[in-house]
Amino acid sequence: MADVTFMGVPRQKIPWFPAIDYARCTFCMECDAFCPHHVFERQESAPRLVVANPNNCVVFCRACAKTCGPDAITFPDKPEIIALIKRVRKEEMVK
Amino acid sequence: MKHALLSCTGLDKPEGSLAREVAILAADATGSEIICPVLLNRAPARYRKALSENALIVVDGCSTRCATKLAGRLETKVVRKVLISDAAKASRMPFEPTLRLRTSGVALAQAIVDQLVRDLNAPAVAAEPSSAWETPAEFLVVTHDKFEFRIPVVDYLFNENDCWARVSEGVARVGISDYMQQRLTDISFFDPPKTNAEVEQFGELGALESAKAVFEIASPVSGAVVAVNAAVVENPALINEDPYGAGWLVEIKLAGLEQDEALLLDGAAYADIVKRKAAED
Repeated sequence: MADVTFMGVPRQKIPWFPAIDYARCTFCMECDAFCPHHVFERQESAPRLVVANPNNCVVFCRACAKTCGPDAITFPDKPEIIALIKRVRKEEMVK
Repeated sequence: MKHALLSCTGLDKPEGSLAREVAILAADATGSEIICPVLLNRAPARYRKALSENALIVVDGCSTRCATKLAGRLETKVVRKVLISDAAKASRMPFEPTLRLRTSGVALAQAIVDQLVRDLNAPAVAAEPSSAWETPAEFLVVTHDKFEFRIPVVDYLFNENDCWARVSEGVARVGISDYMQQRLTDISFFDPPKTNAEVEQFGELGALESAKAVFEIASPVSGAVVAVNAAVVENPALINEDPYGAGWLVEIKLAGLEQDEALLLDGAAYADIVKRKAAED
């Protein structure tokens, strides 16, 4: 995944991926069952679900959060990420 | 107008209690019949008449969307959906997480119903048909396994979130790509944005639902929503049938196309993205 970009920006420079609120998560695994990009990973020991592959997450996709009954998945602020992408693109162009 | 009202009955969750109250108030406000999901599951014949004569309003308590999943098994058309957890947040009113609703919970339920009734009464702003919006004639085709994904060669601009914009005289018509409609499979519901809503580039332009997923429409351009495709609201299958033509979703009066274009792709560049995504699927 190292050479993957989003809008010309290296994926690993874009902090867009889900965060699990373990105080709410019931480990129903609906999000993991849904996500085709293997962002989540199940574990034998606690916590039984982790965000193992954050850079696999499709930038601006929040579909897993929309499957989450206990509302335990959050994403960063979209306008902030858009501003960051534009800033990095400008820096890359200067180089 | 009378509808059938299929609601979450989550007895063990505060959102379920709120959903139940919303269903009761909405049934009163619209003269609709409440469909109990438990009884519907156990004895569907009980509701055969109501479901054959009325369109459905679906009320989900949380994102598990049990009522939506039940509605997906029915032939009845869904005209409106309410997701209580989102509606409570959107109302900005206090929501006490208790199973037994207090005065504030009943007030919140009433506010959600008032909004529902306003939405039901607000007609979609239809766009005038125009000869400028002919379906594209020439496509690039990306093949992967048995799938073929078509991408118009000219006139369409894409973002990496699989949404397109086609611009004419300061207005962009917006839809989703052939690749995304095939990934979602049969689209059963289009929750449109409000007309006149201002949207930033990549901002949310409503959502599409299929049995597989809920897809947030990421706007390829910034501006104001000036029209919603009423035909697609009525029949979301149009998106699957003709994603670049009759299945368009909204029109946006452009606010800054020149800036937006820096983050948009032409057909050939988007075809490369589709190739990569299809290989990763």
